[in-house]
Amino acid sequence: MKKMLLKAWYTMRRPSVHYSLGFLVLGGFVAGIIFWGGFNTALEATNTEAFCISCHEMQDNVYQEVQPTIHFTNRSGVRATCPDCHVPHEWTNKIARKMKASKEVWGKIFGTINTREKFLANRKRLAEHEWARLKANDSLECRNCHNFDYMDFTAQSDRAAAMHSTSLASGEKTCIDCHKGIAHQLPNMDSVEGW
Amino acid sequence: MKYLLTTCFALLLCSPMAMQSVSANDEKTNIATLRNHTPIEGQQPTKSIPKVINNDKVQMRNYPMQPPLIPHTIRGYEVNLNSNKCMACHSRQRTAESLAPMVSVTHYMDREGNFLAELSPRRYFCNQCHVNQTESKPLVENSFVDMHKLMKQKSQQQ
Amino acid sequence: MNINRRDFIKANAVAAAASVAGISVPVQASNLITASELTKIKWDKAACRFCGTGCGINVGVMDGKVVATHGDIKSPVNKGLNCVKGYFLSKIMYGKDRLTTPMLRMKNGHYDKEGDFTPISWEQAFDIMEQKAKETLRNVGPTGLGMFGSGQWTIHEGYAAAKLMKAGFRSNNIDPNARHCMASAVVGFMRTFGIDEPMGCYDDIEATDAMVLWGSNMAEMHPILWTRITDRRLSAKHVKVAVLSTFQHRSFDLADNGMIFEPQTDLAILNFIANYIIENDKVNKDFVNKHTRFAMGNTDIGYGLRPDHPLEKRAKNAAKAGGSSSIDFDEYAKFVSTYTLDYVSQLSHVPKQNLIDLAELYADPNRKVCSFWTMGFNQHTRGVWANNLVYNIHLLTGKISTPGNSPFSLTGQPSACGTAREVGTFSHRLPADMVVDNAKHREISENKWKLPKDTIPPEPGYHAVLQNRMLKDGKLNFYWVQCNNNMQAAANINQEGYPGYRNPKNFIVVSDPYPTVTAQAADLILPTAMWVEKEGAYGNAERRTQAWYQMVEAPEGAKSDLWQLVEFSKRFKVEEVWDKEILDKNPEYKGKTLFEVLYANGQVNKYSLDEIPEDRLNHESRDFGFYLQKGLFEEYASFGRGKAHDLAPYERYHQERGLRWPVVDGKETLWRFKEGYDPYVTPGTDFEFYGHPDGKAVIFALPYEPPAEVPDRTYDLWLSTGRVLEHWHSGSMTRRVEELHKSMPNALVYLHPEDAKDRNLRRGDAVKIISRRGEVETRVETRGRNKPPKGLVYMPWFDASRLVNKVTLDATDPLSKETDFKKCAVRIEKV
Repeated sequence: MKKMLLKAWYTMRRPSVHYSLGFLVLGGFVAGIIFWGGFNTALEATNTEAFCISCHEMQDNVYQEVQPTIHFTNRSGVRATCPDCHVPHEWTNKIARKMKASKEVWGKIFGTINTREKFLANRKRLAEHEWARLKANDSLECRNCHNFDYMDFTAQSDRAAAMHSTSLASGEKTCIDCHKGIAHQLPNMDSVEGW
Repeated sequence: MKYLLTTCFALLLCSPMAMQSVSANDEKTNIATLRNHTPIEGQQPTKSIPKVINNDKVQMRNYPMQPPLIPHTIRGYEVNLNSNKCMACHSRQRTAESLAPMVSVTHYMDREGNFLAELSPRRYFCNQCHVNQTESKPLVENSFVDMHKLMKQKSQQQ
Repeated sequence: MNINRRDFIKANAVAAAASVAGISVPVQASNLITASELTKIKWDKAACRFCGTGCGINVGVMDGKVVATHGDIKSPVNKGLNCVKGYFLSKIMYGKDRLTTPMLRMKNGHYDKEGDFTPISWEQAFDIMEQKAKETLRNVGPTGLGMFGSGQWTIHEGYAAAKLMKAGFRSNNIDPNARHCMASAVVGFMRTFGIDEPMGCYDDIEATDAMVLWGSNMAEMHPILWTRITDRRLSAKHVKVAVLSTFQHRSFDLADNGMIFEPQTDLAILNFIANYIIENDKVNKDFVNKHTRFAMGNTDIGYGLRPDHPLEKRAKNAAKAGGSSSIDFDEYAKFVSTYTLDYVSQLSHVPKQNLIDLAELYADPNRKVCSFWTMGFNQHTRGVWANNLVYNIHLLTGKISTPGNSPFSLTGQPSACGTAREVGTFSHRLPADMVVDNAKHREISENKWKLPKDTIPPEPGYHAVLQNRMLKDGKLNFYWVQCNNNMQAAANINQEGYPGYRNPKNFIVVSDPYPTVTAQAADLILPTAMWVEKEGAYGNAERRTQAWYQMVEAPEGAKSDLWQLVEFSKRFKVEEVWDKEILDKNPEYKGKTLFEVLYANGQVNKYSLDEIPEDRLNHESRDFGFYLQKGLFEEYASFGRGKAHDLAPYERYHQERGLRWPVVDGKETLWRFKEGYDPYVTPGTDFEFYGHPDGKAVIFALPYEPPAEVPDRTYDLWLSTGRVLEHWHSGSMTRRVEELHKSMPNALVYLHPEDAKDRNLRRGDAVKIISRRGEVETRVETRGRNKPPKGLVYMPWFDASRLVNKVTLDATDPLSKETDFKKCAVRIEKV
């Protein structure tokens, strides 16, 4: 084992005898692009609703629940897909979220929520993760579409305008504080703040 | 045979007899008040699904005991074993922040009339009494008289 | 009203004149009116006009108008609560199109089947009715006359109608709309227990540990009972709620175990539970040995369609559907052993764990359990079986007739029990559970009614569905419909109902407060007084009889069903309606009118007007000159007293918030068949199901059999129909209340979003629902309160402008003759 590692180390250290420096630099650059592109393409492929609901856990539970909601079907047909709300758009955050998501793959493999009962039993924990994440990032994914600066309070109902122009404007509250359960059914809301 | 009879009968009904059309007219004006004035064999094109009124405006009650109507949409509001979305705004503790009206005190009473520390579970499903209104017109007028109007009339007669 | 307005103007004029003259007229001290003579509302008690729950209502009257209503705090049923319909009761009588004059189809001044509806007097209305009835009696005989009544009739009305038809006209062709509602429950009770109506009561809810809804959306259809169930579930954490249905609805919001099953497989699920109880050794052997026996019911019994239908011809036992043979426990155990978890889960599409959890609620000896069901069970081509099968699992475990252990058949209508069932307005029944095809029962009834022997015909008459078929076939020619809207409510309007009413051979009379779809199909419409415009009594689902006084006058011209029936009876001499043979044997009846022999018979007219409190309205009694309601009630009550159907003296119902029969020694009975609660149980027996002579209840071996019509390639979806919270039945009252109408304006078709997508449909699209029988146009709802599984659609029937019963199939349970409104095959097309 030690021998093999040493041999590899020597090969890496030795200058190339077959390929020119230019080839290696350019080749490396091209390969880099290909790998990088491939990585990102693959990443983006996992960032689609079709990918999300290819797992029956998602298809049978959360996807069924989102369909009647306003984030799925509404006046203008602008709709949110799973990653719009659940994956950050900005790259570093996205990678961080994706790394966390590897845990979900783990869950998939070991069947943590492979039945409705298990899903329901875990719903509170799963929801709390998302609430905590959105609370921590000041409801970043909400704000990707619902930009506070461009809200027209006069087009909102009186009570909504009152809330948005005070608590939300001052930063005292963030979207998720009030808008829980807007796209999926709620877990048991016992001792959740604001309920 | 049955089919034949039915067909004959249908033809008989559809035959453009003068009186028939008068009769249909008569049904239109007097009888088919909930049927868009349409004979039973037919049907008018359906109206689109009306929008839910979402203006947050309180509608006057017909009498004090009438449950107030809901002046906002409740799409996606869950009231089930897990949560009661309505009470997230209308419970005593939440109204200061939500600015929503507090549920009436009767809602804290159990079957025997004792006040509880929380909403009585018998009142848990709000939609059994409180409903939305849609932007649709009454089918026929209702001549119910408000007690206040009767009282005012008598008071002025005195 | 006119006078009021004139007075109002006069008063205004006085005020105006006074102010000009500088004189001050007396005014209120503030902006509020506080003088008690002005603010006072006259409050009185009544039973709710709507569902079978039977909530107590306080009705507030001012100046002869109902101005407010609310739930009666003193009523043990609802303790001050109402559902949204109940809260708007105040407005149901005031729709602008209330009928105030009889209307006859006329041409050139004469009745004409194709004529226009023309206002006529009551005198003229009864003239033509008399003429048509007598014509029919002459040409066809008593079987040509028929009446379709209601579980919304008051007890008095149902009793007066049954008497008029069965004893007066000697026709058993009287049936209530309860046939569409409760008939399967009735036959279920009669088969298993030999006596009708639930053993338990609503108090079971507060005493139980588990509640199972079998095909009942109580959250919408029995909202106040649902508040009691919710109260129980949420205040005691160990209590569990299981809900079974063919689609997800509001009751699932409270479900610990919600199950969607393939239509008709409820039969298999019930047998699975019985099998589970036996296999896990949870049978209460002591109870089963002492208080039950076993029977194997006949199978392959057809679908209650017309006899020439291929399905009927193919059915082996269509003619003897009710037959059964005695078996023992082992044979029964063997019979249900085929209903294994694997088989039933596969058949019903309910996951195994859910089935086990459900079965465990029944099997666990430490858990009390209530089962509730309504139309999911009753409107079922095997509805009687479903009723029998649910009793099986309660009987196997002995979980019955004790507080908290209750198989409970909910009723749809306010007096389905009190009127339709107890009074005996079904085509085969007489008061107090007696039947017309039993000579002894007929004799008892004739004696009670002081009528000659053989007045009551022995053959059961036409039931509801058969009435429509006979109208169409021209065999039922004089037909009177009271207190229901059967043109809208009955299945297969296009092929049966409508052609029947419009058959030129027939004369159709419809009594209703409002112009309904049924009125539209009639030849003569009679304007009718409703609810608190008359004195009445209802009996709710828990055997509670409740009475109310007349509180307001009906609109000028409108008369109650009771007045109509009794007044019409004056038009007939016994010679015109009874056989010569009967009169020759009983000459003392000769020359008398039906009014005299039926109502002024020394019993019904026994109580004088003095017994009516002076300040009380009572239009009928004051018109006929005796306390009619009391007389009818007391004569009727004499049937049940001492026969385990005891009612209290009539006056007591005006004082109490209802009493649950049997009322023995002034005390109501909460749990029947159980010693200590039911005075009719023989001491020492512990339980006694005294409806059967051996005191035993019957556990029936009955299989799963497929429905009458299943989706195929052309008609690829199941259609289920039903009701909604905001409207009462066909909406003839509630759709005239603005707030209720605006909350639920039209009937939509609920379908699964993916079913919609597959058909290129979206929410709000105009669609046609098409079956082999007809089509109805409506709009698509994909995200409403009902969430059907893929392959099933749901449409309520309250909407008179969208008649879903043009599409439904008139297949019935062969035993109960109740239509299955929950299953037929349709397809959906975009308009």
